[in-house]
Amino acid sequence: MTLLRPFALDRPETLEEAAAVLTEHGGGAALYAGGTELLLLMKEGLVRVQRLVDVKRVRGLADIRAEDATVVIGATARHRAVEISALLRERCPLVAGVARHVANVRVRHVGTVGGNLAFADPHSDVATLFLALDAELVLWRRAGERRLSLGDFLLGAYETARRDDEILTGVRLHPWPAGTASAYLKFGVHERPTLGVALAVTPAGAGAPAAVRLSVGCVGPKPQRFPEIERQAARMGVAELAARAPALAQAAADAVETASDLHGAADYKRDMTRVFVRRAFEIVAARAAGEEPRARYPYTVIV
Amino acid sequence: MPDTRTPSSFRVALTVNARPVTLEVPAHALLLDVLRDRLGLKGAKRSCDIQVCGACTVLVDGAPVSACTFLAVEVDGCEVLTVEGLADGDRLDPLQEAFMQHGAVQCGFCTSGMLMSARALLNEDPSPTRERVAHYLRGNLCRCTGYRKLVDAIVACGNQGTT
Amino acid sequence: MRVTRELALAAAPATLWTLLWDVPRMVACVPGCVDAKEIEAHRRYAARMTQKVGPITLSAMLDVQVTEAEPERRLTLTARGRDPVIGAEITMRVGLEIDAHADASVLRIEAEGRVLGKLGALGHGTIQRKAEESVDEFAARLRAVLPT
Repeated sequence: MTLLRPFALDRPETLEEAAAVLTEHGGGAALYAGGTELLLLMKEGLVRVQRLVDVKRVRGLADIRAEDATVVIGATARHRAVEISALLRERCPLVAGVARHVANVRVRHVGTVGGNLAFADPHSDVATLFLALDAELVLWRRAGERRLSLGDFLLGAYETARRDDEILTGVRLHPWPAGTASAYLKFGVHERPTLGVALAVTPAGAGAPAAVRLSVGCVGPKPQRFPEIERQAARMGVAELAARAPALAQAAADAVETASDLHGAADYKRDMTRVFVRRAFEIVAARAAGEEPRARYPYTVIV
Repeated sequence: MPDTRTPSSFRVALTVNARPVTLEVPAHALLLDVLRDRLGLKGAKRSCDIQVCGACTVLVDGAPVSACTFLAVEVDGCEVLTVEGLADGDRLDPLQEAFMQHGAVQCGFCTSGMLMSARALLNEDPSPTRERVAHYLRGNLCRCTGYRKLVDAIVACGNQGTT
Repeated sequence: MRVTRELALAAAPATLWTLLWDVPRMVACVPGCVDAKEIEAHRRYAARMTQKVGPITLSAMLDVQVTEAEPERRLTLTARGRDPVIGAEITMRVGLEIDAHADASVLRIEAEGRVLGKLGALGHGTIQRKAEESVDEFAARLRAVLPT
C-alpha cells in the first residue's frame, strides 16, 4: 500500500493567485488538475511535492470554445468533456473521437488535456494528434501570456518548454479545412499507446493548395511531423496516395526517431511505423474517395 | 514541511450511497483509504494501486474514478456511489442479479469495480452493444472469467430495460 | 543502458592520458557529476551525480573505483550509488581506450550501466537517451579542456 506524503493544498480561483503560490513556493509546489500522472509519481515516491496548486477552480480554464476559426480547449478540460463536446464533434471530429480512446474510462473522466500535454509522457495520443492539428499552447504568467507551437513546447520525454512560473491555460487547435479526409490509428496492448499515427489529407480548395499532415507519436521521445513526406504526398491524387502508401510509409520509417523502452525496441517501433503509416495512407485514401475501409488490425483502434 | 497557513485538514461534506457524511481529511488522504478505513466500505479494492486495473472503481457524481489515485478532498459536495450502495436493502441491483445469473463472478476481486463501471455505463447508455461494453470495461481487469460472461451479464441487463 | 563512442582527438596519447588519469578532473567533465573527492589516489573516488528526468530528480553519491589502468592505453572505472529519496540504485562501468593515430589519438568510450528501482522501470527509454546525451557532452567537455 503506497500512501502519499503529507502536503499542503491550495485552490486558487484566479491565475494570479495560482501564480503567487507558485512564485512563493518555487520548486516545492506543483500544479495539479486531474492528478492522473502526478499523483502516481507521488505515490511511487519519485517526486516529492510540498504543495499542490489545484487549478480546477480557476474560472474558464475548462472551457471548450470557438474563437473564429480556432477551437480553444481549456487546460483543465477533461478528456471526457472533449469526447462529448458538440463543438469539437462538429469542428474537429477526430479530436472528439480520439478522446474516447484515451487510457481508460476512469482516466478519461478525471484526466485533463492540459495535464496530458504538460506532463509530456512520450506515449500520448493527444500529443500525437494535436501535432497534426498545428496546436498552439497558451502559457500564462504574471508578466504576460505567450503562445508556443506544440512542436516547440514538447522538448523530449517528460520535458517541456514551460517555465517554472508559467501556467498552461489552453490549447488552440486549427481545424482542418472542409473536405479533409483523416484518420487516427492507435496501436498497443498496454495502458498507454505503443504507436499513434494521425494523418489528414486536404484536397486543393478555394485559394489553398492541397495539404497533407502526418504525425507519428508514442514511439520516440516526442511526436513528429514529416514535412518532406507531407510535401510529396500533397502532390498526389487519391489513387496515387493509396498506390504509393508503402513508399511513403518507408520514408516515414526512415525518418522517424524511435527509442527503446518497455513497449519494444527502437527497431521494432521503426518497423511498426512503416506498417501503420502505410495503413493510415490506405485508410485515408479510401475515405477521401468516399469509402469507409473495413480492414481491422490486431490491437489497433482506428478513429 | 507543509505550510500551516494553508489548511492541511479539509472539511468534506458528501453523500455516500445516498447518506450524508461529513469528514475532516488531510489533503493527502486518498479516497480509497477514506472509504475503506474511515467508512468501513470494503467493497472497493486496492489491487494495482496505479489506476490501471479498476478494482477500486467508485462513482463520483456518476463518473467512474480510480479511488486509489483520487484525493478525498475532491469529493466535497459530491455524491459517491460504491458497490455497497447498489442494492436497496434486500433488493439487488439488476446488474448484481445479472452477474449471478450469468456466472460473471469467480474469485470476486474485480467484481466491485466491474459492477461500478457497468452501472456508470448503463446510466449513460441503457442498452449498450457488446462492443460498447467491451470498450467501456477495457480498464477493468479480470483474471478469472475471461470476460465473456461479464459482457453477457451487462448486455443482458441492458436488454431487460430494467436499469 | 549501453553507449559506445569513438572520438578523434587532436592530442597525443600521453597528453590525453594525463587528463584522464587526473580522475577528479576527468569526472568533472561528466555532466551532472560534481564534487569528485579522492579517497585513495588513482584507486577510489567519491562524486555526486545529479540528473533530471522530467519532473524526477535523481541524485546519488557514487563510489567510483578504478579497476584497470594501463598508462596511455586503457582506463576502466566502475561506479555504484544509491538515491535514497527515490529508491534508485545505479551501477556503471566505463571503459576508456586510447589508440594512437599519427600525432593524435582515438578515444573509444564504452559506458554500460543500470538503474534499478521504480525509475529504472518507468524511465527505461529516457535513461538510455540521457546516457547517450551525457556521453556526448562528456566528449565535448573533454575536447574543450585538452591542450592542443
